[in-house]
Amino acid sequence: MTGQAALALLVALAAGPALACGDSLGSGTRRIEDAQFLLVYKLMPEPVPVGRHFSIDFALCPRGAAPLPGEVRVDAQMPEHKHGMNYRPSVAPRGPGQYRAEGLMFHMPGRWELSFELRSPGAAPRRLSQSLQVG
Amino acid sequence: MTRRRRLGAALVALLMGAALAQPLVSPLSNEDLPRLLAHGPWPPPPVHDPSNRASARPAAIGYGAALFHDTRLSRDGSLACASCHQPARGFSDGLPRSVGLQPGTRNTLGLDNVGQQRWLSWDGANDNLWAQSLRPLLDAREMGSSLAQVARTVRGDPGLRDGYRRAFGQDPGADDEAVAVDVAKALAAYQETLVSPRTPFDEFRDAVARGDRQAAAAYPAAAQRGLALFLGRGRCYVCHSGPTFSNGEFSDIGVPFFIGRGQVDPGRHGGIQVLQRSRYNLLGPFNDDASRSSATPTRHVLLEHRHFGEFKVPSLRNLARTAPYMHNGSLKTLREVLRHYSELDENRLHADGEAILVSLRLSEAETEDLLAFLDSLNAAATR
Repeated sequence: MTGQAALALLVALAAGPALACGDSLGSGTRRIEDAQFLLVYKLMPEPVPVGRHFSIDFALCPRGAAPLPGEVRVDAQMPEHKHGMNYRPSVAPRGPGQYRAEGLMFHMPGRWELSFELRSPGAAPRRLSQSLQVG
Repeated sequence: MTRRRRLGAALVALLMGAALAQPLVSPLSNEDLPRLLAHGPWPPPPVHDPSNRASARPAAIGYGAALFHDTRLSRDGSLACASCHQPARGFSDGLPRSVGLQPGTRNTLGLDNVGQQRWLSWDGANDNLWAQSLRPLLDAREMGSSLAQVARTVRGDPGLRDGYRRAFGQDPGADDEAVAVDVAKALAAYQETLVSPRTPFDEFRDAVARGDRQAAAAYPAAAQRGLALFLGRGRCYVCHSGPTFSNGEFSDIGVPFFIGRGQVDPGRHGGIQVLQRSRYNLLGPFNDDASRSSATPTRHVLLEHRHFGEFKVPSLRNLARTAPYMHNGSLKTLREVLRHYSELDENRLHADGEAILVSLRLSEAETEDLLAFLDSLNAAATR
Protein backbone atom coordinates (compact mmCIF):
# COMPACT_ATOMS: atom_id res chain seq x y z
CA MET A 1 0.00 0.00 0.00
CA THR A 2 1.36 3.34 -0.95
CA GLY A 3 1.60 6.13 1.56
CA GLN A 4 -1.20 8.02 -0.16
CA ALA A 5 -3.52 5.01 -0.12
CA ALA A 6 -2.82 4.40 3.57
CA LEU A 7 -3.59 8.06 4.32
CA ALA A 8 -6.84 7.85 2.39
CA LEU A 9 -7.85 4.73 4.32
CA LEU A 10 -7.07 6.38 7.63
CA VAL A 11 -9.14 9.44 6.70
CA ALA A 12 -12.04 7.20 5.68
CA LEU A 13 -11.83 5.21 8.93
CA ALA A 14 -11.65 8.36 10.99
CA ALA A 15 -14.67 9.84 9.27
CA GLY A 16 -16.68 6.63 9.74
CA PRO A 17 -20.19 6.18 8.40
CA ALA A 18 -22.26 9.36 8.40
CA LEU A 19 -24.50 9.52 11.50
CA ALA A 20 -28.19 10.07 10.84
CA CYS A 21 -29.94 12.84 12.75
CA GLY A 22 -30.50 11.84 16.37
CA ASP A 23 -28.55 8.57 16.17
CA SER A 24 -26.65 9.54 19.30
CA LEU A 25 -29.95 9.49 21.23
CA GLY A 26 -30.26 5.73 20.87
CA SER A 27 -33.58 3.93 20.55
CA GLY A 28 -37.07 5.13 21.49
CA THR A 29 -36.88 8.44 19.67
CA ARG A 30 -39.67 10.44 18.02
CA ARG A 31 -39.43 12.71 14.98
CA ILE A 32 -40.92 16.02 13.90
CA GLU A 33 -40.02 17.56 10.58
CA ASP A 34 -40.86 20.46 8.37
CA ALA A 35 -39.36 21.92 5.19
CA GLN A 36 -36.25 23.25 6.94
CA PHE A 37 -35.57 21.01 9.94
CA LEU A 38 -35.70 17.47 11.20
CA LEU A 39 -36.00 17.26 14.98
CA VAL A 40 -35.45 13.93 16.72
CA TYR A 41 -36.22 13.75 20.43
CA LYS A 42 -36.25 11.31 23.27
CA LEU A 43 -38.44 11.58 26.37
CA MET A 44 -36.68 10.65 29.60
CA PRO A 45 -38.21 8.64 31.10
CA GLU A 46 -40.50 7.08 28.52
CA PRO A 47 -43.41 6.80 29.07
CA VAL A 48 -43.64 10.10 30.85
CA PRO A 49 -45.31 9.65 34.26
CA VAL A 50 -48.13 12.05 35.11
CA GLY A 51 -47.18 14.55 37.79
CA ARG A 52 -43.43 13.88 37.66
CA HIS A 53 -40.69 16.00 36.14
CA PHE A 54 -38.97 14.72 33.04
CA SER A 55 -36.42 15.85 30.49
CA ILE A 56 -36.00 15.66 26.74
CA ASP A 57 -32.82 15.12 24.75
CA PHE A 58 -33.14 16.25 21.17
CA ALA A 59 -31.18 16.73 18.00
CA LEU A 60 -31.99 19.42 15.47
CA CYS A 61 -30.79 18.84 11.92
CA PRO A 62 -31.18 21.52 9.24
CA ARG A 63 -32.14 20.41 5.79
CA GLY A 64 -29.76 21.81 3.20
CA ALA A 65 -27.98 24.98 4.17
CA ALA A 66 -30.39 26.26 6.82
CA PRO A 67 -28.43 27.49 9.85
CA LEU A 68 -29.13 26.23 13.36
CA PRO A 69 -31.34 28.60 15.36
CA GLY A 70 -29.80 30.89 17.94
CA GLU A 71 -32.20 29.69 20.63
CA VAL A 72 -34.61 26.80 21.11
CA ARG A 73 -37.53 26.92 23.56
CA VAL A 74 -39.61 23.95 24.64
CA ASP A 75 -43.15 24.18 25.95
CA ALA A 76 -46.35 22.14 26.13
CA GLN A 77 -50.07 22.86 26.25
CA MET A 78 -53.26 20.90 26.88
CA PRO A 79 -55.47 22.24 24.09
CA GLU A 80 -58.70 20.78 25.49
CA HIS A 81 -57.99 22.19 28.96
CA LYS A 82 -56.70 25.53 27.65
CA HIS A 83 -53.65 25.57 29.90
CA GLY A 84 -49.98 24.84 29.73
CA MET A 85 -47.48 23.39 32.15
CA ASN A 86 -46.87 24.87 35.58
CA TYR A 87 -43.15 24.96 34.83
CA ARG A 88 -40.92 26.76 32.33
CA PRO A 89 -38.39 24.28 30.92
CA SER A 90 -34.77 25.24 30.43
CA VAL A 91 -32.91 24.23 27.26
CA ALA A 92 -29.14 23.78 27.23
CA PRO A 93 -27.02 22.95 24.16
CA ARG A 94 -24.95 19.78 24.44
CA GLY A 95 -23.04 20.13 21.18
CA PRO A 96 -23.80 21.39 17.67
CA GLY A 97 -27.49 20.73 17.08
CA GLN A 98 -27.78 18.71 20.32
CA TYR A 99 -29.86 19.91 23.27
CA ARG A 100 -31.35 18.87 26.59
CA ALA A 101 -34.61 20.35 27.94
CA GLU A 102 -35.22 20.00 31.66
CA GLY A 103 -37.98 20.93 34.09
CA LEU A 104 -41.00 19.71 32.12
CA MET A 105 -43.99 18.20 33.88
CA PHE A 106 -47.36 17.00 32.59
CA HIS A 107 -49.55 17.45 35.66
CA MET A 108 -52.64 15.89 34.14
CA PRO A 109 -53.30 12.84 32.02
CA GLY A 110 -54.62 13.50 28.53
CA ARG A 111 -53.46 15.01 25.26
CA TRP A 112 -50.53 17.39 25.42
CA GLU A 113 -49.13 19.39 22.53
CA LEU A 114 -45.34 19.44 22.86
CA SER A 115 -43.68 22.28 20.96
CA PHE A 116 -40.16 23.30 20.04
CA GLU A 117 -39.78 26.93 19.09
CA LEU A 118 -36.73 27.78 17.00
CA ARG A 119 -35.69 31.41 17.30
CA SER A 120 -33.07 33.33 15.34
CA PRO A 121 -32.37 37.05 15.21
CA GLY A 122 -34.28 38.78 12.45
CA ALA A 123 -36.48 35.80 11.65
CA ALA A 124 -39.95 34.82 12.74
CA PRO A 125 -39.96 31.98 15.30
CA ARG A 126 -40.43 28.57 13.74
CA ARG A 127 -42.53 26.02 15.63
CA LEU A 128 -42.32 22.26 15.48
CA SER A 129 -44.96 20.46 17.51
CA GLN A 130 -46.40 17.04 18.15
CA SER A 131 -49.28 15.59 20.16
CA LEU A 132 -48.57 13.19 23.00
CA GLN A 133 -51.13 11.08 24.83
CA VAL A 134 -50.12 10.97 28.51
CA GLY A 135 -51.36 8.63 31.20
CA MET B 1 -51.70 -1.58 20.43
CA THR B 2 -49.19 -0.78 23.15
CA ARG B 3 -48.18 -3.34 25.76
CA ARG B 4 -50.09 -1.35 28.41
CA ARG B 5 -53.27 -1.28 26.31
CA ARG B 6 -52.98 -5.00 25.61
CA LEU B 7 -52.67 -5.59 29.35
CA GLY B 8 -55.70 -3.39 29.98
CA ALA B 9 -57.75 -5.20 27.36
CA ALA B 10 -56.77 -8.56 28.80
CA LEU B 11 -57.76 -7.47 32.29
CA VAL B 12 -61.09 -6.10 31.08
CA ALA B 13 -61.79 -9.37 29.34
CA LEU B 14 -60.81 -11.24 32.46
CA LEU B 15 -63.00 -9.14 34.73
CA MET B 16 -65.98 -9.20 32.40
CA GLY B 17 -65.72 -12.91 31.78
CA ALA B 18 -69.01 -14.79 31.84
CA ALA B 19 -67.52 -17.36 34.16
CA LEU B 20 -67.26 -14.93 37.05
CA ALA B 21 -68.63 -16.55 40.19
CA GLN B 22 -69.24 -13.09 41.64
CA PRO B 23 -69.34 -10.68 38.69
CA LEU B 24 -68.27 -7.13 39.25
CA VAL B 25 -71.22 -4.78 39.46
CA SER B 26 -69.65 -2.07 37.35
CA PRO B 27 -67.12 -3.56 34.96
CA LEU B 28 -64.38 -1.14 34.10
CA SER B 29 -63.91 -0.02 30.55
CA ASN B 30 -60.78 -0.56 28.52
CA GLU B 31 -59.90 3.09 29.15
CA ASP B 32 -60.54 2.84 32.91
CA LEU B 33 -58.13 0.00 33.61
CA PRO B 34 -54.83 1.88 33.23
CA ARG B 35 -56.37 4.78 35.14
CA LEU B 36 -57.27 2.44 37.98
CA LEU B 37 -53.85 0.80 38.06
CA ALA B 38 -52.14 4.22 38.13
CA HIS B 39 -53.59 4.77 41.63
CA GLY B 40 -51.23 2.23 43.15
CA PRO B 41 -49.43 0.30 44.34
CA TRP B 42 -49.66 1.29 47.99
CA PRO B 43 -47.76 1.95 50.18
CA PRO B 44 -45.07 3.77 48.20
CA PRO B 45 -41.36 3.13 48.82
CA PRO B 46 -40.06 4.78 52.01
CA VAL B 47 -39.07 8.41 51.62
CA HIS B 48 -35.43 9.42 51.59
CA ASP B 49 -35.21 13.16 51.10
CA PRO B 50 -31.76 14.09 49.76
CA SER B 51 -32.24 17.69 50.89
CA ASN B 52 -32.40 16.56 54.52
CA ARG B 53 -29.40 14.73 56.00
CA ALA B 54 -31.63 13.60 58.89
CA SER B 55 -34.12 11.92 56.54
CA ALA B 56 -34.72 8.20 57.24
CA ARG B 57 -32.30 8.21 60.17
CA PRO B 58 -33.92 6.42 63.14
CA ALA B 59 -32.34 8.71 65.75
CA ALA B 60 -33.61 11.78 63.91
CA ILE B 61 -37.07 10.26 63.46
CA GLY B 62 -37.35 9.60 67.19
CA TYR B 63 -36.07 13.06 68.01
CA GLY B 64 -38.52 14.59 65.56
CA ALA B 65 -41.42 12.67 67.12
CA ALA B 66 -40.53 14.07 70.54
CA LEU B 67 -40.15 17.61 69.21
CA PHE B 68 -43.50 17.30 67.42
CA HIS B 69 -45.24 17.06 70.80
CA ASP B 70 -43.04 19.60 72.63
CA THR B 71 -44.83 22.85 73.53
CA ARG B 72 -41.58 24.55 74.51
CA LEU B 73 -40.96 25.29 70.84
CA SER B 74 -43.78 27.84 70.83
CA ARG B 75 -43.38 31.42 72.00
CA ASP B 76 -45.45 31.07 75.18
CA GLY B 77 -45.06 27.32 75.72
CA SER B 78 -48.72 26.64 74.97
CA LEU B 79 -48.59 24.99 71.54
CA ALA B 80 -46.85 22.04 69.93
CA CYS B 81 -47.06 20.90 66.32
CA ALA B 82 -49.43 18.21 67.61
CA SER B 83 -51.82 20.85 68.95
CA CYS B 84 -53.10 21.44 65.43
CA HIS B 85 -51.83 18.24 63.77
CA GLN B 86 -53.59 15.78 66.06
CA PRO B 87 -52.80 12.12 65.34
CA ALA B 88 -56.37 10.97 66.08
CA ARG B 89 -57.70 13.39 63.46
CA GLY B 90 -55.39 12.35 60.65
CA PHE B 91 -52.96 14.98 61.94
CA SER B 92 -55.48 17.78 61.35
CA ASP B 93 -57.57 19.62 63.97
CA GLY B 94 -61.24 19.28 63.02
CA LEU B 95 -61.65 23.06 62.78
CA PRO B 96 -62.67 24.99 59.66
CA ARG B 97 -59.61 27.18 59.94
CA SER B 98 -56.52 26.73 62.07
CA VAL B 99 -56.17 28.45 65.43
CA GLY B 100 -52.66 29.03 66.70
CA LEU B 101 -51.68 31.98 68.84
CA GLN B 102 -54.04 33.87 66.51
CA PRO B 103 -56.82 32.70 64.18
CA GLY B 104 -55.66 31.57 60.76
CA THR B 105 -57.34 31.79 57.38
CA ARG B 106 -56.92 28.24 56.07
CA ASN B 107 -57.90 24.73 57.03
CA THR B 108 -55.20 22.64 58.73
CA LEU B 109 -54.02 20.00 56.28
CA GLY B 110 -53.52 16.47 57.58
CA LEU B 111 -50.04 15.02 57.54
CA ASP B 112 -50.66 11.47 56.30
CA ASN B 113 -48.29 10.82 53.38
CA VAL B 114 -46.87 14.33 53.64
CA GLY B 115 -43.43 12.98 52.71
CA GLN B 116 -44.78 12.20 49.24
CA GLN B 117 -45.57 15.82 48.48
CA ARG B 118 -43.62 18.05 46.12
CA TRP B 119 -45.21 21.26 47.41
CA LEU B 120 -46.32 21.85 50.98
CA SER B 121 -49.30 23.83 52.28
CA TRP B 122 -52.41 24.90 50.38
CA ASP B 123 -50.38 27.38 48.33
CA GLY B 124 -47.19 25.33 47.95
CA ALA B 125 -45.12 28.08 49.51
CA ASN B 126 -42.51 25.53 50.56
CA ASP B 127 -40.77 22.99 48.36
CA ASN B 128 -39.54 20.75 51.18
CA LEU B 129 -40.85 19.34 54.41
CA TRP B 130 -38.22 20.83 56.71
CA ALA B 131 -38.90 24.38 55.52
CA GLN B 132 -42.60 23.69 55.94
CA SER B 133 -41.90 22.47 59.49
CA LEU B 134 -39.93 25.61 60.32
CA ARG B 135 -42.62 27.98 59.06
CA PRO B 136 -45.27 27.45 61.79
CA LEU B 137 -42.59 27.62 64.49
CA LEU B 138 -41.75 31.15 63.38
CA ASP B 139 -45.16 32.39 62.20
CA ALA B 140 -46.59 34.88 64.72
CA ARG B 141 -50.13 33.55 64.07
CA GLU B 142 -49.13 29.97 64.78
CA MET B 143 -46.41 29.08 67.32
CA GLY B 144 -44.85 32.54 67.27
CA SER B 145 -41.34 31.45 68.19
CA SER B 146 -38.02 32.62 66.78
CA LEU B 147 -34.82 31.04 65.52
CA ALA B 148 -33.13 32.19 68.74
CA GLN B 149 -35.84 30.75 71.01
CA VAL B 150 -35.86 27.39 69.24
CA ALA B 151 -32.06 27.13 69.39
CA ARG B 152 -31.96 28.30 73.01
CA THR B 153 -34.58 25.73 74.00
CA VAL B 154 -32.62 22.89 72.39
CA ARG B 155 -29.30 23.99 73.84
CA GLY B 156 -30.77 24.57 77.29
CA ASP B 157 -32.51 21.27 77.87
CA PRO B 158 -30.33 18.17 78.50
CA GLY B 159 -32.85 15.83 76.87
CA LEU B 160 -33.26 17.94 73.75
CA ARG B 161 -29.52 18.53 73.53
CA ASP B 162 -28.84 14.80 73.80
CA GLY B 163 -31.49 14.06 71.18
CA TYR B 164 -29.90 16.59 68.85
CA ARG B 165 -26.49 14.97 69.33
CA ARG B 166 -27.86 11.52 68.52
CA ALA B 167 -29.75 12.80 65.48
CA PHE B 168 -26.99 14.94 63.97
CA GLY B 169 -23.79 13.49 65.43
CA GLN B 170 -22.74 16.69 67.14
CA ASP B 171 -23.85 19.14 69.80
CA PRO B 172 -26.04 22.07 68.76
CA GLY B 173 -23.71 24.85 67.66
CA ALA B 174 -23.74 28.58 68.28
CA ASP B 175 -25.56 29.45 65.07
CA ASP B 176 -29.25 29.84 66.00
CA GLU B 177 -30.47 29.52 62.43
CA ALA B 178 -28.52 26.31 61.79
CA VAL B 179 -29.86 24.73 64.98
CA ALA B 180 -33.45 25.76 64.23
CA VAL B 181 -33.23 24.39 60.69
CA ASP B 182 -31.90 21.11 62.09
CA VAL B 183 -34.86 20.97 64.48
CA ALA B 184 -37.10 21.38 61.45
CA LYS B 185 -35.20 18.63 59.64
CA ALA B 186 -35.75 16.25 62.55
CA LEU B 187 -39.45 17.18 62.53
CA ALA B 188 -39.51 16.42 58.81
CA ALA B 189 -37.75 13.07 59.29
CA TYR B 190 -40.53 12.08 61.69
CA GLN B 191 -43.35 13.28 59.43
CA GLU B 192 -41.94 11.33 56.48
CA THR B 193 -42.86 8.19 58.39
CA LEU B 194 -46.56 9.12 58.57
CA VAL B 195 -47.88 6.82 55.85
CA SER B 196 -51.54 5.88 55.75
CA PRO B 197 -52.27 2.13 55.82
CA ARG B 198 -53.60 0.05 52.95
CA THR B 199 -57.28 0.38 52.21
CA PRO B 200 -60.08 -1.71 50.66
CA PHE B 201 -59.43 0.19 47.43
CA ASP B 202 -55.79 -0.96 47.46
CA GLU B 203 -56.91 -4.56 47.87
CA PHE B 204 -59.24 -4.15 44.88
CA ARG B 205 -56.67 -2.39 42.74
CA ASP B 206 -54.04 -5.06 43.40
CA ALA B 207 -56.56 -7.87 42.81
CA VAL B 208 -57.34 -6.37 39.41
CA ALA B 209 -53.65 -5.98 38.66
CA ARG B 210 -52.98 -9.66 39.27
CA GLY B 211 -56.23 -10.82 37.65
CA ASP B 212 -57.72 -12.22 40.86
CA ARG B 213 -61.44 -12.03 40.07
CA GLN B 214 -62.60 -13.46 43.37
CA ALA B 215 -60.65 -10.97 45.46
CA ALA B 216 -61.71 -8.10 43.18
CA ALA B 217 -65.38 -9.02 43.54
CA ALA B 218 -65.11 -8.55 47.32
CA TYR B 219 -64.93 -4.79 46.76
CA PRO B 220 -68.35 -3.34 47.68
CA ALA B 221 -70.70 -2.89 44.74
CA ALA B 222 -71.43 0.76 45.55
CA ALA B 223 -67.69 1.50 45.73
CA GLN B 224 -67.24 -0.15 42.33
CA ARG B 225 -69.92 2.10 40.85
CA GLY B 226 -68.39 5.14 42.53
CA LEU B 227 -64.97 4.22 41.17
CA ALA B 228 -66.42 3.94 37.67
CA LEU B 229 -67.81 7.48 38.08
CA PHE B 230 -64.49 8.72 39.47
CA LEU B 231 -62.60 7.35 36.47
CA GLY B 232 -65.35 7.97 33.92
CA ARG B 233 -67.97 10.70 33.72
CA GLY B 234 -66.70 12.56 36.78
CA ARG B 235 -63.13 12.73 35.43
CA CYS B 236 -61.98 13.20 39.02
CA TYR B 237 -58.82 11.22 38.24
CA VAL B 238 -57.51 14.04 36.05
CA CYS B 239 -56.38 15.95 39.15
CA HIS B 240 -56.72 13.26 41.84
CA SER B 241 -54.22 10.99 40.12
CA GLY B 242 -51.51 8.59 41.22
CA PRO B 243 -51.17 6.52 44.39
CA THR B 244 -51.85 9.50 46.68
CA PHE B 245 -54.90 10.54 44.63
CA SER B 246 -53.33 13.94 43.95
CA ASN B 247 -51.21 15.23 41.09
CA GLY B 248 -49.43 17.40 43.65
CA GLU B 249 -50.34 20.60 41.83
CA PHE B 250 -52.95 23.34 42.21
CA SER B 251 -56.41 24.10 40.85
CA ASP B 252 -59.13 26.68 41.05
CA ILE B 253 -62.33 24.73 41.62
CA GLY B 254 -64.56 27.67 42.40
CA VAL B 255 -64.16 27.78 46.18
CA PRO B 256 -64.27 31.45 47.23
CA PHE B 257 -60.94 32.99 48.15
CA PHE B 258 -62.25 36.07 49.96
CA ILE B 259 -61.07 35.99 53.57
CA GLY B 260 -62.55 39.18 54.91
CA ARG B 261 -63.55 42.67 53.95
CA GLY B 262 -61.30 43.70 51.08
CA GLN B 263 -59.00 40.74 51.62
CA VAL B 264 -58.35 37.78 49.37
CA ASP B 265 -56.24 34.66 49.68
CA PRO B 266 -54.13 34.61 46.50
CA GLY B 267 -53.45 30.89 46.88
CA ARG B 268 -50.76 29.50 44.58
CA HIS B 269 -49.98 32.93 43.10
CA GLY B 270 -48.84 34.16 46.49
CA GLY B 271 -47.29 30.82 47.39
CA ILE B 272 -44.88 30.89 44.46
CA GLN B 273 -43.73 34.38 45.40
CA VAL B 274 -43.13 33.33 49.02
CA LEU B 275 -41.27 30.26 47.79
CA GLN B 276 -39.01 32.25 45.51
CA ARG B 277 -38.15 34.70 48.30
CA SER B 278 -37.53 32.00 50.88
CA ARG B 279 -34.07 31.44 52.27
CA TYR B 280 -35.15 27.89 53.08
CA ASN B 281 -36.13 26.73 49.60
CA LEU B 282 -34.16 24.00 47.82
CA LEU B 283 -32.09 26.55 45.92
CA GLY B 284 -30.92 28.03 49.22
CA PRO B 285 -27.99 27.33 51.52
CA PHE B 286 -29.70 24.77 53.76
CA ASN B 287 -30.35 22.10 51.13
CA ASP B 288 -28.14 19.11 52.03
CA ASP B 289 -28.34 17.82 48.44
CA ALA B 290 -25.07 19.08 46.96
CA SER B 291 -26.21 18.16 43.44
CA ARG B 292 -29.28 20.42 43.79
CA SER B 293 -31.14 17.95 41.56
CA SER B 294 -33.90 18.00 44.17
CA ALA B 295 -34.45 21.67 43.29
CA THR B 296 -35.65 21.00 39.73
CA PRO B 297 -39.31 21.94 40.45
CA THR B 298 -38.31 25.14 42.24
CA ARG B 299 -35.86 26.14 39.52
CA HIS B 300 -38.52 25.82 36.83
CA VAL B 301 -41.76 26.78 38.58
CA LEU B 302 -43.75 29.31 36.61
CA LEU B 303 -45.63 32.28 38.09
CA GLU B 304 -48.62 33.31 35.99
CA HIS B 305 -51.82 35.22 36.69
CA ARG B 306 -53.83 32.00 36.26
CA HIS B 307 -52.35 30.75 39.54
CA PHE B 308 -54.36 33.32 41.47
CA GLY B 309 -57.00 31.54 43.50
CA GLU B 310 -55.55 28.10 42.88
CA PHE B 311 -55.11 25.82 45.86
CA LYS B 312 -53.48 22.46 46.31
CA VAL B 313 -55.17 19.34 45.00
CA PRO B 314 -55.42 17.37 48.26
CA SER B 315 -54.90 13.66 48.62
CA LEU B 316 -58.10 11.64 48.99
CA ARG B 317 -56.62 8.98 51.28
CA ASN B 318 -58.05 8.78 54.79
CA LEU B 319 -60.39 11.72 54.27
CA ALA B 320 -62.83 10.53 56.93
CA ARG B 321 -60.62 11.85 59.72
CA THR B 322 -59.79 15.25 58.25
CA ALA B 323 -63.13 17.08 57.98
CA PRO B 324 -63.96 19.86 57.33
CA TYR B 325 -62.81 20.24 53.73
CA MET B 326 -61.45 22.72 51.18
CA HIS B 327 -58.69 25.28 51.75
CA ASN B 328 -60.98 27.42 53.87
CA GLY B 329 -62.70 24.56 55.68
CA SER B 330 -66.03 25.76 54.31
CA LEU B 331 -67.54 22.31 53.61
CA LYS B 332 -68.31 20.19 56.65
CA THR B 333 -68.81 16.81 55.03
CA LEU B 334 -67.81 14.87 51.95
CA ARG B 335 -71.46 14.96 50.91
CA GLU B 336 -71.17 18.76 50.79
CA VAL B 337 -67.97 18.45 48.76
CA LEU B 338 -69.75 16.26 46.22
CA ARG B 339 -72.64 18.73 46.14
CA HIS B 340 -70.11 21.46 45.33
CA TYR B 341 -68.96 19.54 42.28
CA SER B 342 -72.49 18.51 41.41
CA GLU B 343 -73.90 22.02 41.45
CA LEU B 344 -70.86 23.96 40.35
CA ASP B 345 -71.91 27.25 38.82
CA GLU B 346 -69.62 27.38 35.83
CA ASN B 347 -70.43 31.05 35.24
CA ARG B 348 -69.22 31.97 38.71
CA LEU B 349 -66.04 29.97 38.46
CA HIS B 350 -62.93 32.13 38.46
CA ALA B 351 -62.14 33.19 34.89
CA ASP B 352 -58.87 31.27 34.99
CA GLY B 353 -60.33 28.22 36.71
CA GLU B 354 -60.02 24.74 35.36
CA ALA B 355 -61.61 24.81 31.92
CA ILE B 356 -62.50 21.15 32.21
CA LEU B 357 -64.69 21.66 35.28
CA VAL B 358 -68.39 21.13 34.64
CA SER B 359 -71.16 20.64 37.13
CA LEU B 360 -71.62 16.90 37.52
CA ARG B 361 -75.37 16.95 38.26
CA LEU B 362 -75.04 13.84 40.40
CA SER B 363 -78.14 11.84 41.26
CA GLU B 364 -78.68 10.80 44.87
CA ALA B 365 -77.64 7.26 43.94
CA GLU B 366 -74.46 8.50 42.25
CA THR B 367 -73.63 10.61 45.31
CA GLU B 368 -74.01 7.56 47.53
CA ASP B 369 -71.78 5.53 45.20
CA LEU B 370 -69.06 8.18 45.20
CA LEU B 371 -69.24 8.38 48.99
CA ALA B 372 -68.84 4.61 49.15
CA PHE B 373 -65.82 4.83 46.87
CA LEU B 374 -64.24 7.64 48.95
CA ASP B 375 -64.92 5.60 52.07
CA SER B 376 -62.94 2.73 50.53
CA LEU B 377 -59.91 5.04 50.57
CA ASN B 378 -59.95 4.99 54.36
CA ALA B 379 -57.78 2.52 56.20
CA ALA B 380 -60.87 1.22 58.00
CA ALA B 381 -64.35 1.54 56.56
CA THR B 382 -66.22 4.30 58.36
CA ARG B 383 -69.77 4.15 57.01
